[in-house]
Amino acid sequence: MAEAWRGIRVTIPSEVRFLGPIRIMIDEACGISGLTEEDRAEVQIAVQEGCANVIRHCYKSEAGKRIDLRVSFFKEALEIRVDDYGTFVDPAQIRGRELEDVRPGGLGVHLMRKSMDEVRYAKNAWGGTTLTLVKRLGKEGGAKENA
Amino acid sequence: MKVTRETRNKDVLVSVQGSVDIYSSPELRGELKVALEQRAPKIVIDLEKVTFVDSSGLATLIEALQRVHEYQGKLVLCGLRTTVLSVFQLTNLDNLFEIRPTVQAALEG
Repeated sequence: MAEAWRGIRVTIPSEVRFLGPIRIMIDEACGISGLTEEDRAEVQIAVQEGCANVIRHCYKSEAGKRIDLRVSFFKEALEIRVDDYGTFVDPAQIRGRELEDVRPGGLGVHLMRKSMDEVRYAKNAWGGTTLTLVKRLGKEGGAKENA
Repeated sequence: MKVTRETRNKDVLVSVQGSVDIYSSPELRGELKVALEQRAPKIVIDLEKVTFVDSSGLATLIEALQRVHEYQGKLVLCGLRTTVLSVFQLTNLDNLFEIRPTVQAALEG
C-alpha cells in the first residue's frame, strides 16, 4: 500500500507581505526534516525567490491572485512545490543573469539553483507553472527518523 | 524591518534590523538614497541584526554601491551573520562588496 502523503499545504495571495510568514513556515518544515541551519536558510531563500518570481513576473505584481505551496516530507528529501495560475513559462526562458554582469536584479533564479539540489519547472493542470524545489536530507546527518 | 541612519563625522552609518526582502527593501533604498544625495564619503551599512536577505535586498545594495562609486565614495557592509553572508557568497557578491566584521572596523577601515 502506498505511504500516505505527509506534508503541509498552504495558499497565499500574490502579495509580497505574505512571504515573511511563508518563510517562517518553511523554516519550521525544515526543522521537522532535521536540516542544518545552513540548509534551512538555503531552503528559505529558494522558496522566497520562487514565490517572488511568481508575484513579479507571472502575476505582474497584481494582488489577489493565488499561489499554492505544498511541502512534502520524504525520507530522503524535503520537497516544496509552488503552483501559480498564470501562463506556463518555458523553463528555457527562466534564467538569471551572469554573475559577472554586475547589476541590480536577476539573481533570484541563480540563488534557487545554488541553494537547492533540484529545481524543476513544469506546466500544471491549470495552465500555469509548477516550480519544484528539492533539498536532499542526510548529507550532513539530517534527522531521517523524523522524515 | 527597521532602519536607522546617523552621521558619524562626514560618514553615514545605516543600521538595519530584521529581513531585507522584496517587501521591505524599498524602505532601505529610501534611507540609502538620503545618504547618497548627501554624497557621504563613506556609507557603512550595519547588517548585524539582519536575519534574512533576498535578491531584492541584494539589488538594493548593488544599486547603492554603484551610485556611491559614481562620486568616488565608499560603501562598506559589516556584521553579517553566517546565513546572510552565505547569500552574498552564493552570488559572488562577497567579492564585490567591502565587508568588515564590526561597525568600528568598517568606520575605521
